[in-house]
Amino acid sequence: MTDEPRITTPITAEGTTFPGPLPCGLRCIPRGVDELATEHLVLNMGPQHPSTHGVLHILVELDGEEVIAAEASLGYLHRGIEKLAESRRYHQVPTLLDRADYLSGLHSETAWALTVEKLAGIEVPRKASWLRALLMELNRYASHLVWLGTFGMDAGAMAPFLYIMRDREMLLDVIEAITGSRMMFNYVRPGGVAADLPAGVDAKIRAWLDVADTYLDENDALLGGNEIFRLRMKGTGVIDRATALAFGMTGGCLRASGVDYDLRRDVPYCAYPELDFEVPLGVRGDNMDRYDVRVGEMRQCIRLIRQLIDGMPEGEFSGRRSRVLKVPAGECYAAVESPRGELGIHLVSDGGFTPYRMRLRSPAYFNLAVVDEALAGGLIADAIVTLGSLDIVLGEIDR
Amino acid sequence: MPATQPADILRACGIPFEASTEALGDVVRLEAAKVADTLAALYESGYDFLVDLFATDTGERIEVTWHVRAFAEHADLYLKALVDYDAAAPSVWHIYPAALYPEREAAELLGMTFTGHPNPKRLLTADGAEPFLRKSVLIRTAKEVRRPS
Repeated sequence: MTDEPRITTPITAEGTTFPGPLPCGLRCIPRGVDELATEHLVLNMGPQHPSTHGVLHILVELDGEEVIAAEASLGYLHRGIEKLAESRRYHQVPTLLDRADYLSGLHSETAWALTVEKLAGIEVPRKASWLRALLMELNRYASHLVWLGTFGMDAGAMAPFLYIMRDREMLLDVIEAITGSRMMFNYVRPGGVAADLPAGVDAKIRAWLDVADTYLDENDALLGGNEIFRLRMKGTGVIDRATALAFGMTGGCLRASGVDYDLRRDVPYCAYPELDFEVPLGVRGDNMDRYDVRVGEMRQCIRLIRQLIDGMPEGEFSGRRSRVLKVPAGECYAAVESPRGELGIHLVSDGGFTPYRMRLRSPAYFNLAVVDEALAGGLIADAIVTLGSLDIVLGEIDR
Repeated sequence: MPATQPADILRACGIPFEASTEALGDVVRLEAAKVADTLAALYESGYDFLVDLFATDTGERIEVTWHVRAFAEHADLYLKALVDYDAAAPSVWHIYPAALYPEREAAELLGMTFTGHPNPKRLLTADGAEPFLRKSVLIRTAKEVRRPS
């Protein structure tokens, strides 16, 4: 297999002939003209397309309405975050990571803090761990809300999106009251967090919790309770267990395929070992399962936030921090369960003031790789829904 | 840990290697040419998930890291191999299709190749972009940082 000649043919124009033996499992080469001699159409979706959730370009080869092959092409949002981190001090890197996954910055910040703390041996006060977990759950809910709204839009349901943006606005107000920012937080620092809970924010979170349940039930009834929506989602975009594992999928997408794996429970970090929550699972791995798993996760989020608010310990929100952080030479990996899956930071340090190499293991990057496999064989309308169900964030994929 | 230790699996294959436990976890260092065979053997014995694949410029050569996981046992293992600049490492996409994207990324950003990759196009950067994760490629050139007079 390894000595196979390299096939450099990209998807070419319609009506091309078969270019050679197909590497098994890979569908990035057009099959040309089939027996009935219907002409295949190569269609460019994106880079500016409402259903690609950012600047993603997908080449699809169509036979009528059926997708024969698909290939994602990335890089439209590539900023070289990994290279830039090599010239930033350890305290400055979270600012870059906020811009990697712009819907859930607190998760990448926490992953970074955990990695640096692990390598430098920094102790974190208990309260800081709880604050991180609280903020991560709030942020997870906000990120899932965006997914829920845009997923509905992909399926042609406009109304839920508007309601969801109203709900998200209320939640972002809460996050802003704590971190001082709506999206680019820079709140979690190695050693703790930047600030304590401000006075009166408890009441604000509780006020939001009081309505969040109702809002979620309403939105779920609007989308998931809709017969047309359910029929559209069932059985489309099926990613079975073996494919999901083979392509390195994590998070809700993996759990929808029936793999019971959640880092919060299986590799605990922050305050999660002390909390009580369930991990929703799917069976078939189709779009409906991915919808149900994520909505189930949102309900668990509310449950977790209640526990975190009620049990918030007293104490320091940050340990003793030096102005300039130096991390001993070595390598380290730590990961958190972001809304999209396993978000890991692999840090290589040479003992200097800046990281020698920072690798961001971005979950959506691996979840997206499956589209080449998962879209083929379905209809073009289902392809858009399937892509929406994967919950991709291009900032994190392209880095 | 899996029932069979990774070191035992590699010894059974007759592949020379160096195993160590570091801050990172269990690390196995071996020759780049043997990586595909090794990973195939590890896959058979339960390491069924490729978490990540990336490369680092050590200043003299490129160090490629394969991060694999045995899902059932929650055991992680890191394989590391050194490759010369512009040289090749074997592609492992036929064992872990998850390697398809990161191999393309490592190839363009570090300036190397993965032999056997079915679609070795650029992934993130445009044609002609330098392999900028190399330490020799600077973020700003001397001309860019010079102040206008």
